[in-house]
Order: sequence, then C-alpha cells, then structure tokens
Amino acid sequence: MLGIGVSGLMAFQRALNTTGHNISNANTEGYSRQRVELAARTPQYAANGYIGSGVQVDTVRRMYDEFLTLQLRASTASHGQLESYYGFAGQIDNMLADARTGLAPAVDAFFGATHALASDPTSTPAREVLLSEANALADRFHYLDRRLADVESGVNAQIKTTVAEINDLASAIAGVNRQIVLAPGQGSDPPPNDLLDQRDQLIRRLAERVTVTTVAQDDGALNVFIGNGQTLVMGATAQSLSAVANQYQATRCEVGYAAGATSVNISSQISGGTLGGLLAFRGEVLDATRNALGRVAIGLSATFSAQHALGQDLNGTLGGNFFSAIDATSPKARASASNTGGATIAVTVSNAAALTASDYLLQFAGGVYTVTRLSDTATVYSGAAFPGTIASEGLSLALAGAPAAGDRFLIQPTRLAAQDFAGAISDPSKVAAAAPIRTREATDAAGLPTNFGTGKISAGSVSNTTNLPLAGNITLTFNSTLNQFTVVGGPGGTLAYNPATEGGGKQFTFAAYGGITFTLSGTPANGDSFVIDNNTNGVGDNRNALELAGLQTKLTLGGGTASYGDVYGQLVADVGGRTHSADINRNAQKVLLDQSIAAREAVSGVNLDEEAAALVHFQQAYQAAAQAISIANSAFETLLAAVRR
Amino acid sequence: MRISTSQLYQQSANAILDQQAKLAKTQQQVSSGMRITSPADDPVGAVQALDLNAVLAQTKLYQENAGAARDRLRLEEGTLTGVTDLLQRARELAVQGNNAPLSNSDRASLASELRERLNELVGLANTRDANGEYLFSGHQSRTAPFSRNASGAVTYGGDQGGRYLQIGPAVQVVVGDSGSEVFQAIRNGNGTFVTAAGANSGSGVIDPGSVSGTFVSDTYTIAFTQVLPSDPITYSVTGAVSGVVVPAGTAYTSGAAMTFNGVKTGVSGTPANGDTFTVSPSANQSIFTTLQNLINVLGTPAGSPASQANLNNGINRSLKDIDQSLDHILETRARIGARLNALDSQSDMNDAFALQLQETLSKVQDLDYAEAVTRMQQQLTGLQAAQQAFAKVEQLSLFNYL
Repeated sequence: MLGIGVSGLMAFQRALNTTGHNISNANTEGYSRQRVELAARTPQYAANGYIGSGVQVDTVRRMYDEFLTLQLRASTASHGQLESYYGFAGQIDNMLADARTGLAPAVDAFFGATHALASDPTSTPAREVLLSEANALADRFHYLDRRLADVESGVNAQIKTTVAEINDLASAIAGVNRQIVLAPGQGSDPPPNDLLDQRDQLIRRLAERVTVTTVAQDDGALNVFIGNGQTLVMGATAQSLSAVANQYQATRCEVGYAAGATSVNISSQISGGTLGGLLAFRGEVLDATRNALGRVAIGLSATFSAQHALGQDLNGTLGGNFFSAIDATSPKARASASNTGGATIAVTVSNAAALTASDYLLQFAGGVYTVTRLSDTATVYSGAAFPGTIASEGLSLALAGAPAAGDRFLIQPTRLAAQDFAGAISDPSKVAAAAPIRTREATDAAGLPTNFGTGKISAGSVSNTTNLPLAGNITLTFNSTLNQFTVVGGPGGTLAYNPATEGGGKQFTFAAYGGITFTLSGTPANGDSFVIDNNTNGVGDNRNALELAGLQTKLTLGGGTASYGDVYGQLVADVGGRTHSADINRNAQKVLLDQSIAAREAVSGVNLDEEAAALVHFQQAYQAAAQAISIANSAFETLLAAVRR
Repeated sequence: MRISTSQLYQQSANAILDQQAKLAKTQQQVSSGMRITSPADDPVGAVQALDLNAVLAQTKLYQENAGAARDRLRLEEGTLTGVTDLLQRARELAVQGNNAPLSNSDRASLASELRERLNELVGLANTRDANGEYLFSGHQSRTAPFSRNASGAVTYGGDQGGRYLQIGPAVQVVVGDSGSEVFQAIRNGNGTFVTAAGANSGSGVIDPGSVSGTFVSDTYTIAFTQVLPSDPITYSVTGAVSGVVVPAGTAYTSGAAMTFNGVKTGVSGTPANGDTFTVSPSANQSIFTTLQNLINVLGTPAGSPASQANLNNGINRSLKDIDQSLDHILETRARIGARLNALDSQSDMNDAFALQLQETLSKVQDLDYAEAVTRMQQQLTGLQAAQQAFAKVEQLSLFNYL
C-alpha cells in the first residue's frame, strides 16, 4: 500500500511539474502544451485476482497536430511573401501618383510653359520659365529614379540580411536536429517534446523568410529543403545560402546556392516568405517601374528633341536637341559574367515610338543570334547575322569584337533612361519656337504684294532639316497656259496645278528640302509668284512652339497609340493594381494565417484556466496519495502497537 | 473549441490593431478630402484622376491662351478703329479738296494735314503690344514693320506670317494679321480695274468706272481725236493684248457711258486732241501710297482747266482708293470680330468642359463626407468596443479565485 501511495505521489508530482511547465510557457512562442499520460501499473496476481499496484507515468505527451503545423508553416510563408511585397510596392505606389512627387504634375507644368512660349514666343522670361520647367521635369525624373534605386538597394540589402538569417536558422535547426538524434527516447520512448517544439518554431521562422518543405527521418531528424528541392538542412548539417552577384550586373543581389565549388543562382526558384516577396517585388514591380519610367523619359526626350530640331531659335539657327540624347546613351547591353568571347554590344533607340518597357536577352549559340523579349519571352529576332536594327522594338544594336558560342547579353533599353534625362539647352534664346521657313506672295521692293490673282500659299511646315537653312529663296511662278508652277531654287522643276479643279487646295512637298510641305489654293493669275524663304528675323513666329505644345497629347509612343501621359498612367495603373491586389491577397492571407494560428492554438496552446483547474486537480490527488501513505503508515503503526507489549 | 490564453490576448490585440488601421485610413481620407489616398486604393480611379487632372490643366492653358488671343485681337481691333477714323478724315479732306472754290493754298493746308495723318497712320501700323511686339510685322515681331525709305515712301519690312494660338484641343485661332495683309494687299481703283488720265491738256475727267459683266484683264487706252477744233471729238479704245475694242472715230459725248470688255466708265468735260486715259487691272496699293498720292495731288497747284481736270482725276482716283482701303479695313475688322466671337464661344465651351471635368474628377477622387464620417463613427465605436472587450476579458482568470 505504501508503494501504491508512493507511485501516486510520484505520478502527481510529475503531473504538477508538467502543469507548472505549461503555465511557465504559456507565452512561449511555438510551445505545445504537455500532458502527463498516466497508466495503472502492472497488477500483481494473487489467487483471488489481480491486485492493483499503483500508477505510473507512461509518457509526457505533447499536444500537437502535424497537419496544423504544416498549414501554419504554409500560411506563414505566403503571408510573409505578400507582406514584404506589399510593403515595398506601397512605397512606390504612393510616390508615383502623389501630386507633389509624381511625374504627371511636372509634365503638365512643362507643357504649360511650352504653351506660354507659344503665346509669347519673343519673351525671354517665357523661355526662361520653359527651361526651368524642363530642369524641374528632369529633377522629377531623377527624384523618382533615385527613389526607385534606393528601393532597389534596400531590396538588395534585405536579400543579404534575409539570406544571413536563413543561414542562422538553418544551422540552428541542424543543431536541434543533432540534439534530438542524440537525445534518449526514440521510437516508443518518450519524445524530447521541448526540442521538437523548438525545432518547429525555428522552421516557422524560416518559413517567414522562404517557403520550405520538410521530410522527417527515422532517427528523429528533420531534413529541410527550399526552392526546387535544394537541401538546406540534412540531419545535423546545414548547407548555407549566399548572396551572389547577378551575372549581368554585379551590383544586383541574387540568392546563391553552393553547388560544389561554385554558387548557382537559384533566385528564380525561390518562392514564399520575405525572400520570395522581395524577389517577386523586384522582378514584377521595381524593374518594370524603372523600365516604364525610362520609357517615358526616352519617349519624351526623343520626340520633343526631334520636333525642337525642326525649329528655329531666336538667333535664326536651327534648334538642336532640347533634351540630351538619352535615346543614344542610356540603353545598355550587359554582358554575362560567364561570357567567354570578347564581344561588346552598343545599343541605341532607333525609334522611340516602337520602344517597349521590356528588357531583352541576346544569345549567341550555334552560330545563331537570338533576341528574346523578356516581358513575354517572344523571340523578336533569330538569325545567323547580327541583328543590327530591330525595327519592331525600336532598337539598334552594334557589335564590337566576336562573341563565343553560348555568350549572353542582357539588353536594358530603358532601365537607366530616367536617371540620364537632362535638358541640353541653357541659353533661352536657343529655344526654337519658330519654324525655319516661311512662305509669302511675291513682293516688290517696298514689300507690296504684287500678285494679281486670288492664289494663296499656306504657311508651310518642315519635317526634316535636309538642305536647311535654304541656300536661297524658292520661287514658284504660275503659268496659266500650262497650269503649272515653275520652281526656281530648291528642287527646281515644275508643279502641276490646275486652278479650275484644284483651287480648293493642293499639297506639295519638297522632300529633299526640309520636307517643306505647303498647300496652294485659289486661282493665281499668269505670272503670279510665291516665295518660300528662310524665316529670317522670324522671332515672333510660334509655329514650332505650337507643334511642341501639341506633343503633350499627340500619340507618339507605343507605336503611335499612346501619349506620354497614357504611358505614365499605364505605369501608375500597373503599380497601383499590383499593390492593390497584393493588399487584398495579404489581407486574405492574414485571415488564413490567423485561422491557422487559432487552429494550432486550439490544440497546442496553453489555457491558464485549464492549467489552474489541473493544478487544483493534481494537488488534491497528490494530497490524497499522501493521505494513502499516511493511512498505510498508521495501519503499520497499529500493527506494531498491537504486537508491542 | 479550446482557446489558449495567449491566443485570447492576441485576438483582442489584433482586433484593436485592425480597427485602428481602418480608423487611420478613414481619418486620412477625411483630413485630405480625397477618396483615393494612393493608387492602390482604386487603380482605375487613380489613373482616371491623373488623366482628368491633365486634361483640366490643358483646358486651363487653352483658357489662358484664349485670354491672350482676346487681348491681342482687341488691340488690333482698337488700332484698326483708329485707322478707319483716320481714313474717314482723309476722305473728308479729299472731298473738300475736290470742291472747286478752294484756292491752291487751301489745298496745300489740306495736304499738310494729310501729311500729319500719314505720319499718324505709320505710327498706328507700327503699334506694339504690351510685350513690345509689333502687331503688324508678321513673324518678325521685333522688327518695325513700316518705315520710310530714302525717297519718303513707306516700305514694309515684316513678312506675311500670322500667329496662331491653341484655344481648344483642335482649335487654333489667328491672333494677328500681317501689315502686308492689312495695309498693303488692297486693290486700287474699283477693285477690278483702275482708270487714270495721261498727261492731258484737255479738261476731260474720267469716271472711276464700274464692272459690267466680266472684266477682260488687259490695259486699255482710250485715245481722243479732234484734228480741228471744229471737228467732233472722237475716241477709240485699244487693249494692249485685246487690240481695238472700240473703233476709232466713235463719237464722244461728255458724261456718256463707255462700255467695253466688262468696263463701264465715262469721260466728262472736253478732252483735247491726243488726250489719253487708261483702264488697267487693279493692282495692290498700300494705304500709305493712297494717302501719299492724295497729298501729291492736293499739293499740285491747279489753275488751268487742264490742271483742274488733273486735280479732279487724281482726287477721284484717291477717293476710290480710300473707299477700297476703308472697305478692306472694315473687312479685316469684321474678320477680327468673327474671330473674337469664335474665341468667346470656344472659351465658353472650355469653361463648360472644365466644369464638367471638375465634376467628374470630384466624383472620382473626392470623398463622400457624409459616408466617411458615418464610417468613422462606426469604426470609433468598433474600436471602443474592442478595447472594452479586452478590458473585460483581461480580468477573467481562474487564478483570481484560487
């Protein structure tokens, strides 16, 4: 009976210990509550039956559900990814459409200044304002790009930190694995509960950073894999990840996995967790945003400069580039670090209208050059000859040196354009508001028009600068017998014009002379002449300024389907949409995560009220067992007293 | 379902955090008055707002341009009103000069007033706007359009360009006419042909004439013949290209109509033998030349019948030229008026469009305050409830009773 009482004492003490352990760990993350499993001891056989011999502690069981743990791990990884994705995307999203930091207000202000110039072309202040608005626009491009570059370096830094954290966690898991393997009590023996909890918690923290899969081993160790089955922890050894340089761009961080002596870039295989979120954000949002911003920068600078070059400034000379020629300087082709040939590639934008916001991959293999558009992996060129100009993409490539088979180049036409965007003019008189040519009726020495007929010539426009400024006047003289104009100067020859049928207006173009285009109308008298000459002293002319101002709404980009505003709006919508859906998914995932936590807590969490009840319960049982010993003692005392005399 | 104690606390805390986040969002909306605080709130709406803002900014620019255009056109209109007044005064002076009783010195004083008027006209033609740009020099707005050359004639130094301003998405308005067009491109005579007297010795005065049918463009010479004073006066009309159109020997009656090749004119008075008159196609003649011609005519002393006829011929022609100029200036002013009208209607359209844009923009991005404040109240209540629930749950523990 004493033995039975003692077995009860021992068992309830253990139970009280465990309850105390539960209470102490009520707030320990990842802790699973434990319960002492009691069982009756093997009874003793007596003639009249089995006599109970007390209680024993079978095991201390961990209240744990494998399925719930796996679910929690998966939810944690998904939530971690969306959380970091949303965190970064939200930063960019706010910046792009903000009235103070976004691009749209700067573009509006710039074109406002262009309109002001058009309404007052001789005004130096209007020109100064245009130039300062151009600088403000450049500053805005730089600001946005700098912020994106900051975010990018933030992403790089966080990739490094996260990789280091993953490595720490991996070795901690390996350490716990070792302890678990060495711990006594495998198989049917009681398990090392707290170590198992600790390992689960470490794996959950790992899952916050990257999606993992686990495989349990017979010896109690748990092997951890990431990506496409790359081993991170194998038994008691941890494999470490590293942050490696991108093959095309050394400053760009990728996730490296040691395979033999070299590290392999496994970024594309990483998903889930903070790391997955960072990589997805960088690929889907950050790169796309910088490219799209660069596309607006190149589109705006190239088309505006092209129109500006067709104008004439206050000094009477042809306008040059208004913005610096970033269509020629910004596009970059980056050679892979593993290239063996000595080739370098120079990229320029041949047609800003056709330019896309995508990057391209040029591969040279088996004597064939292949250019792939990375946004949709479409092959845009394939052939034995070096591509040269790819008209469909608005790109022009130039090869220097010879590539070796297997060489690869990453072509980034627009990535750096926003940061290179800059004005090319600082002298207000160099702003070309005027058109370089003008038209008029022939006049006498006093400037008096000398035509007799009703013929009119339109103001005329130019489309290139060939043979401009004109070497001399171009005079068109009408011959009413032959119904034609005789052209003297310029291209010469004759222009057929029949006033009877074409009096409503007929358009002519001198392609080789600035592409001068003008319309003749009405009925000129025989001998009437019109003159096209250089716009000397034409400081009050605003024709080119009007053309420049019109570019704001002209569909110059996307193959003639979108204005600057459209392309930028597309970018804002794209980033906004991605952020929006990341937010929605994040919230949904948060609900799932909360549910997973609740489900796990329902099984494994400590409820202090329950433990309080257990305390009272076991305390009473303990007291009762002690009472049984006391009874056994007094029974023995009674016996002794009976035989003592 | 079992609830763990830490879960209980965590849940309460999460609920409070959630409510606070929602409240912060609503607060941000209410304090900014914007429904969309970042594009992620409503990507489609955000881009729409971006577009609407851009169009609104453009419309504002069009309105500014319309304002500038209106100023310039009004200035031009004002200047041309001055020119009209001036021409009317010149016409009065010409009519006065045509009146027989005037002495040579009277006409000389008329001529000297006209000289002043001519200077005034050059001044008007060289009007500058508030920016110091010449109104009538075409594209060469820093070059004075009209100046006098060595011989005193007024010459044009500008070009024939016109400035356009954008006042609507697809509407441009001309905000000026070149001096060439306003002051120079004026057909002399009656607009189709011009009659003139040769160096005549008779007292024949030719009528400026009118077009009858279709004028055959040519230079016609009306030649008078009266070999002996007793002979009847006859005439012939010969075109430089057309040849003889009225045969020689046609009897002359003073004041009778002469009609040929679309020309209807007449000569009155007594032309002498060998006197000629010409009818030639109208050419452009500047207002300055018109006035200068009148000054020259008035400044030439008249006494003899021949010089009186010369005076009358000259003044008749000047009157016709002045009328042409007046018509031309009035036409130009009518054109300016039409442009101002178009400008005003486009401006009204812009205003209406801007208002509509504002409304749409407001619908897209502005906050419905009633809804937001109600929502905020709800969220506040929710937050308070969550906090109170936490305070209650926090007190619950079995340990309190042990």
